[in-house]
Amino acid sequence: MTTEYVPGLEGIVAAQTAISLVDGANGRLVYRGYVIADLAEDMSFEEVAHLLWYGRLPTRAELDGLTLEMAGSRTLTPAAVATLEALPVDTDPMDVLRSVVSVQGVEHRLEKPTIPLAIHATASFPTILAAFHRRSLGLEPVKPRADLGQAANYLYMLNGKESPPELVRALNTYLVLLADHGMNASTFTARVIASTDSDLASCLVGAIGALKGPAHGGAPSQVMDQLEQIGTPENAEPWMREARKRKVRFMGFGHRVYRVYDPRAKILKAMCERMNPGFFALASKVEEIALRILHEEHPERPQSTNVEFYSAGVLQAIGLPKEYFTPTFASSRAAGWTAHVLEQVANNRLIRPQSEYIGPEPRKPVPLAERG
Amino acid sequence: MPEFSPGLEGVVAAETAVSEVDGANGRLIYRGGYLIEDLAAVATFEETAYLLWHGELPNRDELAALRRQMAADRRLKDSTRGTLTSLDLTTDPMDALRTAVSAQGATRSITKPTLEEAIALVSVVPTIVAVTYRRAKGLELVEPRDDLGHAANMLWMMEGKEASPDRVHWLDSYLVLLADHGLNASTFTARVIASTGSDLTSCVVGAIGALKGPAHGGATFAARTMLDKIGTADNADRWLREAHAQHARFPGFGHRVYRTYDPRAKILREMAKAAAPELRKTAEHTEEVALQILHEAHPERPNATNVDFWASVVLTGVGIPKELFTCVFATSRVAGWTAHVLESLADLRIIRPASVWKGPEPGTKPLPIASR
Repeated sequence: MTTEYVPGLEGIVAAQTAISLVDGANGRLVYRGYVIADLAEDMSFEEVAHLLWYGRLPTRAELDGLTLEMAGSRTLTPAAVATLEALPVDTDPMDVLRSVVSVQGVEHRLEKPTIPLAIHATASFPTILAAFHRRSLGLEPVKPRADLGQAANYLYMLNGKESPPELVRALNTYLVLLADHGMNASTFTARVIASTDSDLASCLVGAIGALKGPAHGGAPSQVMDQLEQIGTPENAEPWMREARKRKVRFMGFGHRVYRVYDPRAKILKAMCERMNPGFFALASKVEEIALRILHEEHPERPQSTNVEFYSAGVLQAIGLPKEYFTPTFASSRAAGWTAHVLEQVANNRLIRPQSEYIGPEPRKPVPLAERG
Repeated sequence: MPEFSPGLEGVVAAETAVSEVDGANGRLIYRGGYLIEDLAAVATFEETAYLLWHGELPNRDELAALRRQMAADRRLKDSTRGTLTSLDLTTDPMDALRTAVSAQGATRSITKPTLEEAIALVSVVPTIVAVTYRRAKGLELVEPRDDLGHAANMLWMMEGKEASPDRVHWLDSYLVLLADHGLNASTFTARVIASTGSDLTSCVVGAIGALKGPAHGGATFAARTMLDKIGTADNADRWLREAHAQHARFPGFGHRVYRTYDPRAKILREMAKAAAPELRKTAEHTEEVALQILHEAHPERPNATNVDFWASVVLTGVGIPKELFTCVFATSRVAGWTAHVLESLADLRIIRPASVWKGPEPGTKPLPIASR
C-alpha cells in the first residue's frame, strides 16, 4: 500500500524510539523518561550520554568507568592528524569535522555499531575542533587532560588553559540540552544510513552533513550575523520591518514540532541574561519584535523562539567563535546520533521509501548523431 | 497521524522526475522517460549523467563540452591527496572514498549545490578509487588522461595502461545501468541532507556512507563472495542448500520494489556471456538453484535475481577486484545522487519525520548520583 506524498515527511512516523520525546503540544523534551529541565542543571554531559546509550543514569562506579573511557578516547589517529593538517586553515570547521570524523572512523573491515564505538567517537569531537581552531590561529594543539570532563576538557584544549567553573558549567548545560531531540533531520539521516547495515562513522559523517544546513544546526551563527546587522535595540524594529519587506527570514524562530516555547530556549534564555547582558539586551528586544511581526503575519501559527536563538548568546559568553557554534552543537548531538544508531541496529529494517514519478511518459531515446 | 510503516515501506517521500522504478512491470525509467534498456543501447555514462542533470540527452556540442569539463575536474586537491596518502593501506576503500570526497569538497563557507559542483564530484570519484587501488598495491598514482572518456580513463588510472574497448564498454554500460534508481536508501540520504540547506559534498558523503551498507551497495561484493565460495557450477546445489538450511540469505536475490526480473540484471546477464564466460556458468547455475530454493521456501514471494548478482559477474569481467565493487557502484550512482539533490532545491522543505514514543512515561524525577 502506498500513502499519499507528504512534503518533508511531516507527521509521518519513521521510527519507534525510547531515546527522546519531543512533546510539542506541551513544550516538553524528554530524555528516556526524564524531562529536560530536571537534567539540565545538575547532570554532567557524561551522565546524560550514559542515559542515552544505556537507557538509565549511571551509578557512581559506572560514571567513573565512562569518564575514564571517554578520556582515553580523546586522542586522534595519525591519519586523522594528517588530514587535519592537510586541510586549508580557512576551511569551514563543519567540513573539517566531517572529514576528520570520517578518517578517525576508518576500518579495515565492516564493524557493527557498538556502545564502545559510540563512546570513542563522541569523545573525539572536541579534540578535532580544538586542534583545528588552534591550527587556524597558528597555535600548537593542546593535549587532552584525562582529569577533566567533556566540557572542561574541550575549553582547555581550545584555550590552552582551564576555564572558570561557571563557563564550564554553562557549556556542560548546553551540551546536555542539545544532546538529543527526537527524529530531527540529522538523527534521521544517521538512522537511514544505519539501516543499510553500514558502520557508525558513516552514520556520523552523514549526520554532520545534515546538521550543517542552515535549516537545521547551521542557524546559530546566522542568528549572530543577524544581530550584528541590527546592532542596537533601538534599531531592531525599523531593521526588522524593512527586512521583512525583502522576505528576509528571522533566524532562530519557528519549529515544526513545538507549539509552545521550546523548553531548551527557556533555560538558555535565563543563562544568557545572566552571562551575556549585552547580547541579552539586544536579543530580547529582537525576540519581542520578531514574535510580534510573525504573529501579525500568521496569527494562526505558533511562532516561538527556538533553541538556536539564545544558544548564540550562551556560546559567545563561553568564548566560542561563531564558526564553532554548529560544530559544538555536533559534539553534543553525537551522543544522540550514536544512541539512535544503536537503537536502529537493534531492530533494523532498511529505510527505503517510495517516490512519485512526475516525469514524462516512456519514450525512445534519439541516437547522438540525430540529436539537434 | 498515520501508522508506523517500518522502513518507510510504501511511504512516498519525494516527487521526482529523475527516475522511476516501476516494480510491477519490471521497468526502470530514467529522466526524460527513457527505459533503461533503450538508453543503455545508445548512451554513454557521460550522456546519461547529462540526461539526469538536465532532463534531456545532449547533442554533440553539449556532450563535447561536458566531456571537456569532466576531464578538467579529475585532479585531486593537494589536501585530498594528503588525506588519502595518510590512510593505512588496508583501509576499507569505501572509507577512503568517504573521507577523500569530504576533503575534496571542503570549502571556506557553505555553498548552495550547483551543476558545476555536481560535475566536479562525478569526475573526481574515479581518481580517488584509482589512487586507493594503486596505493594498496604499492604503486604510484597515474595522472588522468584528458582524451579518454569516463570509463576508459578510470581503467587507465587504475592500471596505468589503456584497457581494451570491450572492457571499457562493459564498465561504461555498468555505469549507465546503476546511475539512478528511484528513492533508494543512499539517494534518500542525500535528499534528507539537502533538505536542511546543506552543501552538495555533505549530501554525497552521506550517500556514500549509506551505500556502504551490505543491505544496499555492499550486496555486489557479497554476491561475488558467494560465487567464490561456491566455486564451480556443480557445487552450487549442495552449497546453496546447506546455506539455506542455516538460514543464510542469498546476496543478489530479492528486492523491495521489483515484482518481476530486474531489467538491469537482464542486460548484465546477457553481457556476462562475453565479459566473464567461466564465472557466468557458475553464476547461471547458482541463479537457477537459488531461485528454485527460494520459490520452494516462499512460493508467494517474487524472489527474482537483482542487479547486484549479475553486476558482480560483469565487473569481474571488467577486471575490477571485488573489494572495489561498492566504490564502482558509487562512481556511477553519484550522478543520480547529485541529480536528485539539484532537483530537490526547487522546492526545499526540511525532511523531518515524526517518531512514536515507546520509552518510559515522561516525568520521572532523576535520582542524584549518590542514591543510584
